[in-house]
Amino acid sequence: MNFRRFQTMALFLAGGWCLAAGSGCVQAPPPELVQTVEALDSQLTEVGGAEFAPEEYAHFVERWVSLKHRLEEDDDLIRWPWEPNRVADEVSQVAQEAALTLSLAMERREDLRRTTEEQVEEAETRLGTLKQRVEDLGSRAIVGKQLIDTELLVHQAKTFFEQGRYARALELSQIALQSVGVQTVSLTRALGRYADEEQVQAWQEMAARTIEWSRSSRAQALVINKADRQLTLYRNGQSVHTYPVRLGFNGILEKKHQGDGATPEGQYRILRKRGPGDTQFYRAFLLDYPNSDDRRRYDLAKDSGEVPDGKGIGGWIEIHGQDDHGLGQTLGCIMLDNSQIAHLYEQVSPGTPVTIVGALDVDNRVSRMLGDLAEFAAD
Amino acid sequence: MNSTKQRIAMAFMALSLATWGCANPPVDQIQTAERAVADARAAEAGKYAAEDLAKLEGQLTLLKKELDTQNEKFSLLRDYGKAEQLAATLTAEAQKLVQTSTAKKQEAQEAAARAIQAAQEAISSAQSLVAKAPIGKDRAAFEAIKHDAEALSLSLQEAQKALEQGEYLDAQYRAKAISDKAQSVSDEIERALAKVKGTRTTKVATR
Repeated sequence: MNFRRFQTMALFLAGGWCLAAGSGCVQAPPPELVQTVEALDSQLTEVGGAEFAPEEYAHFVERWVSLKHRLEEDDDLIRWPWEPNRVADEVSQVAQEAALTLSLAMERREDLRRTTEEQVEEAETRLGTLKQRVEDLGSRAIVGKQLIDTELLVHQAKTFFEQGRYARALELSQIALQSVGVQTVSLTRALGRYADEEQVQAWQEMAARTIEWSRSSRAQALVINKADRQLTLYRNGQSVHTYPVRLGFNGILEKKHQGDGATPEGQYRILRKRGPGDTQFYRAFLLDYPNSDDRRRYDLAKDSGEVPDGKGIGGWIEIHGQDDHGLGQTLGCIMLDNSQIAHLYEQVSPGTPVTIVGALDVDNRVSRMLGDLAEFAAD
Repeated sequence: MNSTKQRIAMAFMALSLATWGCANPPVDQIQTAERAVADARAAEAGKYAAEDLAKLEGQLTLLKKELDTQNEKFSLLRDYGKAEQLAATLTAEAQKLVQTSTAKKQEAQEAAARAIQAAQEAISSAQSLVAKAPIGKDRAAFEAIKHDAEALSLSLQEAQKALEQGEYLDAQYRAKAISDKAQSVSDEIERALAKVKGTRTTKVATR
């Protein structure tokens, strides 16, 4: 009986010991710790861990893949109850690494987002300024396709930004900014003569000759200043009236050939006055463009390949009124409001000299705008 | 008799040792796994599922480490069972990733093609409005708009080129930008046409 009791007790103790030892043999980490790593892994995928912290993410992935594999292998998980749970410790370390990687990826992502946002805004602002200047200067043809391309680049950059693809958005906005710079240089090259003292002096002399002629001949003469968009009527060498004018879509440039939209510069005369029924533009004065200087310039431009094939020197340059109010531009002529051309129509007659110059002062509207643009581009 | 038994036992032991010693690395399975990972890279998984590809690369590293571990052991103690299992898992996951990436790529390609089609239609619409625009003095204001429409056509060629080069997102977003701009050009022409509606149009020979 005693022996049986002893046997039962021994079995009971052995069973208890085995149960206690058995439960301690499994090196399984707490499930919530594994879930934490899995959740961090998902977050890393969401924020783009591979993109924003590539080395750290690769290291984490390598450890996590290895550890997950060990967790799946039962035979590798046995330990003595008095040994520390190394697997749980490793999972805990991997969780810490994942958290650090996530924090780093998020920080870098946010830095890039902020930088990109600034660059996209910058590109948009500079493009807006450039567009406005091009519009104000009437120099859309100078920048041509580049302006549209830049607009498309900025649009694309904004879309990439909205989609969270900051690296590409940043790249595109930087290309757009470079393009704005290139266009600013193109404009400065094409219109730099408006800030050129010698050129402005030549224009001043041209205008002075016309005014002197008006004084000595006791007659009327017209001087048109393209930069400041003004037409001044002189009588007996005195300024009588100044009218605001509009030029062609490319009027600020020097005319080179037919259809270029540029307004010629030089000394002309009114060939004919065209009244109601004789013009579609309310009232018009036909000028004697092209004159001998224009022909010489055209020949030179043609020889140097600046004139496209099949383009002549052009003609029918007029000072005219408006045909409609919806479209306020002309193709190279000088346009006045109808009320003002009606007034001017009564003041001048065929044969009146008309001198068209780029500018009469180095500090003119075009040179100032170019200066602003260059300053803005340099910032 | 004893001698015969001893010989048989020795031969049996030698055979057993030879069998154990013949454990070879699973070269074929490893090559298959490596090819599968290479296929995933070629399917641009790095672009369409970068994190999944990183995990595959992690598994590949693990596989290589396991191989090194076994290769460093005394030949009789080598066991490539775990390496085989890793290679099989890696191959299956890489193949799955190839499918996922291909599907995402296909989706991006289709979206880009649709965006280009929409942009083409928007440009055609703007160009037909330009063609309807009055000539004469009115042509002046449309001159710049016409240039814009032409520039958009050229840009669309670039979007098409991006599509052909597999840069689907670039192609899609560029086409979207073109569509929006073409629409604004059309709106500008419509507004201008509305203003000149009813006014006389006359052809001017030259300027």
